[in-house]
Amino acid sequence: MSLEYRHIDWRLVGAALLLSVIGIILIYSAQFDAATGSSLDFYLKQIIWLAIALFIFAVLIHLPLRVIDFLSYLIYATGLGLLFLVLFIGQAKYGAARWFSVGPINVSPSDIAKLALLVALSRFLAYTKLPPQSKRRIFISAALAAIPVLLILRQPDLGTSLVFVALLFSLWLWSGLSPLYMILIVSPLVSLLAAFHWITWTVFLVLLISFILILKPGFLFSFITVVANLGFGIITPFFWNRLADYQKLRILTFLDPGRDPRGAGYQIIQSKIALGSGGILGKGYLGGSQSQLKFLPERHTDFIFSVLGEEFGFIGAMVVVIVFAFIFYRGVVIASRCRSRFASNLAFGAVTILFFQFLVNIGMTLGLMPVTGLPLPFLSYGGTSLVMCWFLIGLLVLADYYWTEY
Amino acid sequence: MSRFFIAKDLRVRIAGAVIALALLTIIVGLAYHQLLRHRFFLEQSESNRIRVQPVIPKRGLIYDRNMKVIADNRLSFTVSIVPFERVKNVTIPKLSELLAMDSLSIEKRARANFVSRYIPSPIKRGLGIDIISVLEERGRYYPGISYSAESVRNYPKDISAGTFVGYVGEVSAEEIESESESDYRMGSLVGKKGIEKTYDRVLRGLEGTEFIEVSAKGQIVGAYKDKHEIPAVPGSDLVLTIDKDLQQFIHTSFDSVRCCGAVVAMDPNTGGLLGLASFPDFDPNIFSGVILPEIWDSIISDTNHPLLNRPLAGLYPPGSTTKIITAGAALELGLVTDNYLLKPCFGGMQFGNRYFRCWDAGGHGKLNTYNAIEQSCDVYFYQLGQLMGVDRWAEYAEKCGFGLKTGMDVPDEKAGIVPNSKYYNELYGAGKWSRYLVLNLAIGQGEFLITPLQLAQFYCGLATDGVVYRPHLLKEIVYPDGAILRSEPVVSFNLPFSRETIRTLNESLGLVVQGEHGTARGLRNNEYNISGKTGTAQNPHGEDHSWFAAFAPSESPRIVVVALVENAGHGSEVAAPLVGKIIRRYLTRDSTALAVYNN
Repeated sequence: MSLEYRHIDWRLVGAALLLSVIGIILIYSAQFDAATGSSLDFYLKQIIWLAIALFIFAVLIHLPLRVIDFLSYLIYATGLGLLFLVLFIGQAKYGAARWFSVGPINVSPSDIAKLALLVALSRFLAYTKLPPQSKRRIFISAALAAIPVLLILRQPDLGTSLVFVALLFSLWLWSGLSPLYMILIVSPLVSLLAAFHWITWTVFLVLLISFILILKPGFLFSFITVVANLGFGIITPFFWNRLADYQKLRILTFLDPGRDPRGAGYQIIQSKIALGSGGILGKGYLGGSQSQLKFLPERHTDFIFSVLGEEFGFIGAMVVVIVFAFIFYRGVVIASRCRSRFASNLAFGAVTILFFQFLVNIGMTLGLMPVTGLPLPFLSYGGTSLVMCWFLIGLLVLADYYWTEY
Repeated sequence: MSRFFIAKDLRVRIAGAVIALALLTIIVGLAYHQLLRHRFFLEQSESNRIRVQPVIPKRGLIYDRNMKVIADNRLSFTVSIVPFERVKNVTIPKLSELLAMDSLSIEKRARANFVSRYIPSPIKRGLGIDIISVLEERGRYYPGISYSAESVRNYPKDISAGTFVGYVGEVSAEEIESESESDYRMGSLVGKKGIEKTYDRVLRGLEGTEFIEVSAKGQIVGAYKDKHEIPAVPGSDLVLTIDKDLQQFIHTSFDSVRCCGAVVAMDPNTGGLLGLASFPDFDPNIFSGVILPEIWDSIISDTNHPLLNRPLAGLYPPGSTTKIITAGAALELGLVTDNYLLKPCFGGMQFGNRYFRCWDAGGHGKLNTYNAIEQSCDVYFYQLGQLMGVDRWAEYAEKCGFGLKTGMDVPDEKAGIVPNSKYYNELYGAGKWSRYLVLNLAIGQGEFLITPLQLAQFYCGLATDGVVYRPHLLKEIVYPDGAILRSEPVVSFNLPFSRETIRTLNESLGLVVQGEHGTARGLRNNEYNISGKTGTAQNPHGEDHSWFAAFAPSESPRIVVVALVENAGHGSEVAAPLVGKIIRRYLTRDSTALAVYNN
């Protein structure tokens, strides 16, 4: 069976390619030095990575979807193995082990693990006979996600591990679990946060209990939920108050690195200045390279959107946002059209990963979200991230191509 | 069942709504920054720079037990280099000219204190307003140079507290390495010694951060208008067990005596230190901020070692003050009873092929425990030493707290040496040492080395009928919100003596002052009784060291004082009168004596 190219969603591929090219142009500018009139070779590396990504994409779309379906748990196991390995032989940057160095290239196993969880969850949720709210189904899918989350938290990398959590929740939703039920599942975490003040906690508990009374999710589940909420609410302040000030600060900085006076807080200010000073039309290509962003070490990776906003202004930023919006739109359409549950889950999960990273990264450059170190899909410098994004596009193209199949 | 299941239509709508909401938020955010506040941010990007300024919290104050100040803070100025604002061949030469420092050492300081490109690295601390006003008015000629007001440690001149308070200085690279849990960074001021070090984390509080706007001319415009600052948490205050008046009295009394020595004054009922002094001492103010190399060299090369913390880390033979251990051990072991008379002293005694002398060549005759301690007869204790042997003696010495750190809350304490047969085997080889070495140990000589603090701790145990509280300086922590954490006395150990034995020992110690032949009978007075023991430690390097350890009032002791005066001869001549004065000051101050002393 040969692939018929006219049935491929070329608009989706074109959108991804457009973003990748914009990324390379911005990376050139981000590392441009006006004094020498040249840029560091990050943009060259990114061009090579794009070629690799496109090659992998081309190979991928020639595979039948069944192959991925068949291999999904093997892919999952491989992804976990790499995550486990990186803890021991990984390269550290800013004190966190995140990369393998293979000769001149760095490979980030957490990007591979994202794909691994995506295929594994998609397969499990597609074929299980258990109803969406069954406890076993929830437990097994949560366990699938929990292993990579814990391994990545060991690195430690809170931002990346949240991608896995987002993936889990979105696929729960997509396989029919009500968001109300998910609220009950995450309620102990909310309780933990609410417990810092007894009034908020009391209000929260009253809301929770009335919620349970209305929904009537079954005795055991209600009981466990209430006990977990009470437990978290009572124990947390007790432990928190026993911590020394500097230990509290460590936890707060972990949750929101923007609090760290040694860098991230400053980066947000500079990022906002860069974005804001771009205005409607921007300062022009390479025109922003002498500005505040010069002092940002992550301007070609995490803060690439700030470079865009500074040089191409509101118009340029909106173009990129709209292209992303188009990808999300196509992705949701593909996911809802697929007849195969596995393909549908794959497509929706792919959109989730891209969307979550997009939201958190741009939210960060605008100072609306904590500085988590999540790259902007397609645009940020980084080989594995680019390959992963193109792999996700490949999955979307496949899901779209085989939408009629069961 | 259906409550938890949602149809596909609804799922698509939920996904669409989430995506739409997120996009809307981002677009509004972009519009707000790029359209609405464009002018503000453009101005920021063109003219102004943002500096990250650490906000150093006020370091907690240190008080004595009566809330008199032992350490506070004063304002001083610090000049720093902001690495990313630095201009090649301008910043360093201009700074070198301003501070009269050579370029090389500025470069060295800038590199040593580097934290990140946008955090100022402190170059020089403790600067006056004259230099700051130059920077304030002509900042544009000094690119990359920033200044800040900083609170710097100040130790009032009316108390000499360096011995236990320690001092504050710039953190070293090794300290940052070893304190992995801390928020120290290069250029931070941290406690280096004493209380300042032990309770550094409590005293220092938590550093905050503010963002300062600097104009193109290099002038500080003020706080950056976008709220981002992280407030500093002030440090907590400490209340010590020290009695500032007594501490100062110890210093004035000692200075008139000799050059070197140590005094420890303790409350036996809690283990709290009332006074702790080392002579000679140093002014901790000279260490605040950056110490000048000249001053450092002069301190280091001083042959009297002013930085040696003698009460805690000075090791001395105890002399007769530890004959109490020997006597107590002999009573416990049943080698003698309190009234049993040993062989008479004729100014010495023959043991094996060597004649061991008593300090009094005239001899003491036949003695029981009471008279032997009263007159400090060496011959009596030689005999006890021979009876018990070195290992039994060592066991009791260790159970009395010698050879072990007391665990006091000041760092750098030493453990001392309690020799036993294992020690001698290692030192001289198995069996190659005389079994009469124990005779020297029994009278507090030989290889037996102690710290004055250990001796004070031991006498505290005698004063409380056997209970030894851990020596400590911390009385209370006063948190910034006013909450108070009281430090409760901790029982460290119990003396290995029965109540009866302790009664015998204390009665003997009373005779040292009250008795007809007591070696410290000069301290006898009508107001209160003192119990104590003199000591004269032979010193191979020079004159004998003079010791006196005592508690008073004998019936219900409120204070234990140990004094050691190096190279001062007999304990009864120098150390005993000094201790007597300190006890008098403490016990009678509350009545009319205070007024008398102040006049």
